[in-house]
Amino acid sequence: MTELQDTARRLLDEGEVKVVIGWEEGRRGVRPVFVTSAADCDRLVFDTRCVHNLATFLNPRRSQVASLGKAALVVKGCDAKAVAGLLREAQIERDGVVLIGVRCGGVVGSPVAPDAPALTAETVASRCFACDVREPGLVDVLVGDAQPEPPGSGTLDERIAALDALGPDERFAFWTNELSRCTQCYACRQACPLCYCERCIVEKTEPQWIETSPHPRGNFAWHLTRAQHLAGRCVGCGECERACPVGIPLALINRKLQQVVLELYDYTVSDDPAVPAPIGAYATDDTQDFIK
Amino acid sequence: MSDTKKKKSASSKAATPVTDAAVAGTASTADGSVVAAQVADASEPLALGEARFLTSEALGWLVEGLAAAGTPAVAPAWAGDAGRAAGGVGDAPETEYRVVSGAAELALGERLPRLSLKQFFLPPTEVLFSYKRNGADIELTPAQAARDTVVLGARPCDVAALPIVDKVMNWDYADELWNARRAATTVFSLSCKVEDDSCFCSAVFLGPAALKGSDGRLTPVDGGYLVEAFTDKGAAFVAAHADAFADLPDASANSAQAEQFRAAARERVAGNLQVDHGRLRDWLDHHFDDPFWASLGPRCNGCGVCASVCPTCHCFDIVDEPESVGSGVRRRNWDTCQTCVFTLHASGHNPRGDQNARYRQRIEHKFLAYPLKFGDVLCTGCGRCSRACPTGQDMAEILTAIDARAAEDAS
Repeated sequence: MTELQDTARRLLDEGEVKVVIGWEEGRRGVRPVFVTSAADCDRLVFDTRCVHNLATFLNPRRSQVASLGKAALVVKGCDAKAVAGLLREAQIERDGVVLIGVRCGGVVGSPVAPDAPALTAETVASRCFACDVREPGLVDVLVGDAQPEPPGSGTLDERIAALDALGPDERFAFWTNELSRCTQCYACRQACPLCYCERCIVEKTEPQWIETSPHPRGNFAWHLTRAQHLAGRCVGCGECERACPVGIPLALINRKLQQVVLELYDYTVSDDPAVPAPIGAYATDDTQDFIK
Repeated sequence: MSDTKKKKSASSKAATPVTDAAVAGTASTADGSVVAAQVADASEPLALGEARFLTSEALGWLVEGLAAAGTPAVAPAWAGDAGRAAGGVGDAPETEYRVVSGAAELALGERLPRLSLKQFFLPPTEVLFSYKRNGADIELTPAQAARDTVVLGARPCDVAALPIVDKVMNWDYADELWNARRAATTVFSLSCKVEDDSCFCSAVFLGPAALKGSDGRLTPVDGGYLVEAFTDKGAAFVAAHADAFADLPDASANSAQAEQFRAAARERVAGNLQVDHGRLRDWLDHHFDDPFWASLGPRCNGCGVCASVCPTCHCFDIVDEPESVGSGVRRRNWDTCQTCVFTLHASGHNPRGDQNARYRQRIEHKFLAYPLKFGDVLCTGCGRCSRACPTGQDMAEILTAIDARAAEDAS
């Protein structure tokens, strides 16, 4: 912790950045914080409750953040993967942000707890099982102690396997029930570090591609489109699902996409921005099975 | 989380969708009348003779009887879904208001329902009318009529929101759909135990047993609920289902226990927030450009989850959706001032150009604009906005911070 606070203090003191974006202890667990003064750097924390993906704050359309000036961002593995996505897709400049990497051995499901819970098979966020980044590589400074692999097993993959084992009708019934609660509030989109479009497709009206009414037709159109747009880009941070006010298990969709992209393109999202995503690369050996 | 509850949750029927048929109102039958008790939190129980007793078992078969009779009964219920996959937002099983049909679904007094009761009066989406072109003529079909509905065991903060939103819905026009649903619905609240430290009903002129908007109230006592009716609608419901409502086993002891429950809850919530609304309003009125607002915007995702879960946020968008060539529907859907496009002009100009301005709007509408116009606040202190915010925006903390600035200005 001291190492993190000292690094932030130095960056602000030396004028290298104007704001350090990290986590602080709030009244209800931890939350993102924007530290603009070296004197406030002792507010910065990092522990198992730091679930938020801070790369969302680098979205250049968030002018209220950009106006604070050049930022240093505290990144764990999934944040670094999202920053790499923004670089890969030319949304930000590498020298426009300082990345303070923190070693991460997994996080819990919710940031709301008075103290950092110990990571166990019960408390660990299920997405951490699919993450192999204990030490982010896309960093300017790296802090924190070496971390063990997250505990737990592939409960997420087990749930997907159970869904895959269903017939199409049963699977459709499952998603019909889950998506019936969607109010199309788009909290999933707003929490996503890779949903940075100036004008989301759901907001386009000439023509209107997706019905904004939260009825089954509109909800399926929205979630299917969002899934397609995130295939091979989603970093699996699970923030969309956490943001959802009605508990739609969006992580099942995201994890399934990761599996499909791995199978079809032998690609896993990493924090190396030099490796192109399948959507942005051409390879002569790309599978063409889908062309009938 | 108990295993029993989890099983109940998993095995209960899927959530009954809020269909238009279940809750839609009609232009033709709406008379604009709104029956709502405008009473403050009563510390004095009603005369003992008027209180009835509803055992937990009787509540179960009351709900089953209503379902069998085709009367929608809305109550807090275990969430009928598969559960979050990436990790939950809390350990306790989630609950939701929905039309219930069986005792096993009921989750009265458990975790606060995810969305407020608002969805049964202003649904996330509803048909205003449908149209069909027949040659040169256009045939219009109005929305379906509101159905008689009863709400059992809603939180007082959710119920109090109804008369608060009534004022908006009957200001520059009478919203026939809203009013028809209000008139067709009988609402029994449930004295609240107080959820957690995000609750602040007592700081917005209410309390955990507030009567505002309630036709009747349930208060937990040994073996069930002490039931009081405050309006003709509430009394009529109790009379119509007299077999479910018994005499209190021990009127004096039961009433004392109910009052003890309410008093403990009042004490629990009182420390969560205390603000002086007069000086807070004055401060808001004179600090449109205060640097304070720039401290709130950066953290905000601009998702408007706060508005989705809010019992008093009532903004909507109207869309026309073609169903095929020459026919379609006009719908209204929830909207929120927290999104960028809410105020985006066709010219490209946006008068609320960033999240600092949008968050200021949220606070100023609730604690300045609405109070100046309608003399109340557009907030019932349910705390859902704080709990649901993915980035930890905290309404009680923000109001405390503004009140402190207001106190400084006043001194």
